[in-house]
Amino acid sequence: MRSATAATLTAVITAAVVAVAACSSSATPPPAGSAGSAPVASSPASVGPSTAPAEKVTVNFPYLWGGPEGEALEKVIAAFNSSQNGITVKGASSPDFQKQLASMSGSNGFDISDNFGSTVGSWASKGILEPLDGYMASGGFDTTDFVPTALQSNQYQGKTYALPIAVHTLLLMYNKKMFADAGIAAPPTTTSELQADIAKLTKVDTSGNITQFGMRSPDYLTLAYAFGGKWYDDQGNPTPDDAGNLAALHFWVDNVVKKYGADKIKKFESGYGEYASAQNPFYTGKAAMTLDGEWQPVFIKQYAPNLDWGVVAIPYPDGQTSLGGATQLTSSMFFIPKNAPHKQEAWEFLKYLTGPAAMTQFSHALGNLPARTSLLGDPVYNDLPQFNVWLDSLKSPNLRIFASLPSTAEYQKDLADEFQLVANLQDTPEAGMAKVKAKAANYSQ
Amino acid sequence: MTHRSVLRGLLFASPWIVGFVIFQLVPIVASAYFSLTNFNLFQDPQFVGLRNYQRLAGDELFWKSLTNTLYLTVIGVPVSLTAALCAALALNMRVRGQSLFRLFVFLPTVVPVVAATYIWRWLLNAQYGYVNQALGTVGLGQPLWLDDPFWTKPALILMSLWVTGSAMVVFLAALQDVPDMYYEAAVIDGAGPWAKFRYVTLPLISPVILFETIIASIFTLQYFTQAFLLGQTRLNAASGGPENSLLVYGLYVFQQAFVNLNMGYASAMAWVLLFVALAGTFVLLRVSRNRVFYGGD
Repeated sequence: MRSATAATLTAVITAAVVAVAACSSSATPPPAGSAGSAPVASSPASVGPSTAPAEKVTVNFPYLWGGPEGEALEKVIAAFNSSQNGITVKGASSPDFQKQLASMSGSNGFDISDNFGSTVGSWASKGILEPLDGYMASGGFDTTDFVPTALQSNQYQGKTYALPIAVHTLLLMYNKKMFADAGIAAPPTTTSELQADIAKLTKVDTSGNITQFGMRSPDYLTLAYAFGGKWYDDQGNPTPDDAGNLAALHFWVDNVVKKYGADKIKKFESGYGEYASAQNPFYTGKAAMTLDGEWQPVFIKQYAPNLDWGVVAIPYPDGQTSLGGATQLTSSMFFIPKNAPHKQEAWEFLKYLTGPAAMTQFSHALGNLPARTSLLGDPVYNDLPQFNVWLDSLKSPNLRIFASLPSTAEYQKDLADEFQLVANLQDTPEAGMAKVKAKAANYSQ
Repeated sequence: MTHRSVLRGLLFASPWIVGFVIFQLVPIVASAYFSLTNFNLFQDPQFVGLRNYQRLAGDELFWKSLTNTLYLTVIGVPVSLTAALCAALALNMRVRGQSLFRLFVFLPTVVPVVAATYIWRWLLNAQYGYVNQALGTVGLGQPLWLDDPFWTKPALILMSLWVTGSAMVVFLAALQDVPDMYYEAAVIDGAGPWAKFRYVTLPLISPVILFETIIASIFTLQYFTQAFLLGQTRLNAASGGPENSLLVYGLYVFQQAFVNLNMGYASAMAWVLLFVALAGTFVLLRVSRNRVFYGGD
């Protein structure tokens, strides 16, 4: 029995870990794609019976979106397919990151897919992504219309590896009714006003339990930008202990956590409902303010149509108006993997997808921000309440991105772990960020 | 045995042999090699000797994940097997509707684990979940099951009590195998219910208990799904839960392999777990040697 269990165990554990690894070991990346048109005749990506004319190429496009977002994308695909005769794009909802990774490690995968800009550095450094610069140059593709930070978040070491279709920023949303009830005339513009408003809007019962919270615990990565912080220096070295980052953590810890108690906050926030539901604490009035993204107008229409809410830029530290409008930009992008069988055709589709017409259609359906400057004033977005505040946020000189580097995923994970300890008062901001800095020294480059 | 019959035997066994070599032996050997390399899934592995194993020793999350998994194994397995044995004893009593009761106890075992875990996520919510509402009505404390690092693993063990069906069925079969004559002899000797259980039932089903303990321990060492789903903050993110209290070993292997793309490091972790399991099984067999009674001996 001993040997039987050992064998079973070995098989189960190692098979899981290695299954993907083993099949990739024989994969040699195909020669760097030339920008010229080279329809691959020998490897049909789809094996189904082809009813289309023989010369038509099928581009396989699995995407991570699903539900209404997937449906919006299918409309864009249908429009592309009927717009020309050479290419048929076959879309399929496949919301599984691991599957996406695994198919890119084989010798023959899909042609185009989507992810977040934050993966670009890691993937590009490992040779997974097809550089797009050659295609862009030969096709005369103009990138100057893209929001500069949005494009930058899809570049690595000077090359462009993906193109953004939608971008996202977090701003300060507030509950107008709760503000009126608390006698607050206007939303905060400085951090000391924010601090005062949190105090006025937080209610505590006789035993110290929070019954209403002035502001939902924020995204510290974004809050740090509002305090002039940065997470990487210009050379790409992690800077978790930057003075602005520490100021942001201190703002929250000193003014909120220490005042109401880490345990009380944890207890109150444990009763928050699921984010994408009518039980979202901002919709139910459990939290009066929250840092949240541009998809909220669409969410609120769906989950909390009667909510009376407003949105403003994240407050800046007193007197430092030059930091006004600071926030973090993230991007949703499309990329072509190195092992795509039909790169040139995938590029044709990518060009269409990130063009003004498809981008407007898609971003409007999702209630996401478009990644092109020329679309920021487009009246099509007027039917999304207060969406213009997010559109304006893209014009801010203090728009920041969390650099997309090989270490990004690991770094963000370590930061998230440490933010928990800081918010629970187990580590001071200084000690916590010093720990992350020590770990960062070991990141693979 | 002739040469020919050996060949014939191998031929008949060949479907298994081929499958074993391709799907088990090759991956096992490959992972042993990858554990000695820096490998990110996409570029050629670079040989680094034992450096991955050395790095493990100084990796605080490695120790945290190992501790979390051992917690579930050392505390969770005895608790859930005791529950399964109690259920089997109760369901072994001859009462009306016996098979109906058995059905009810077994039923949760066939619920898909992902669906069941999402239901538990909701049941265990500290503020509006039914578990804490029930605890409140009887005047007990209401822990923050999913948010307090102290309570997340007890929450997992609580969930495991709900799906003891398969162990219960095995125990039930073992209980029915105990010959009535032993009980009759014990009663004649003046044994009460406890003495009957302690000196007749328990020794006679001890091989089954040992088997279930080893199997359950090995399964628990590979624990993944429920911790992944309870710790989940958004779709597809592999979070370790509050202060990494849900970062079980399998989850950390997954993070290293598929989030950080450190496939070599993850392979080294898989091998360490194999040796932990081997050592644990060895200790269990050793400790139980004089406590397990095999009827056939």
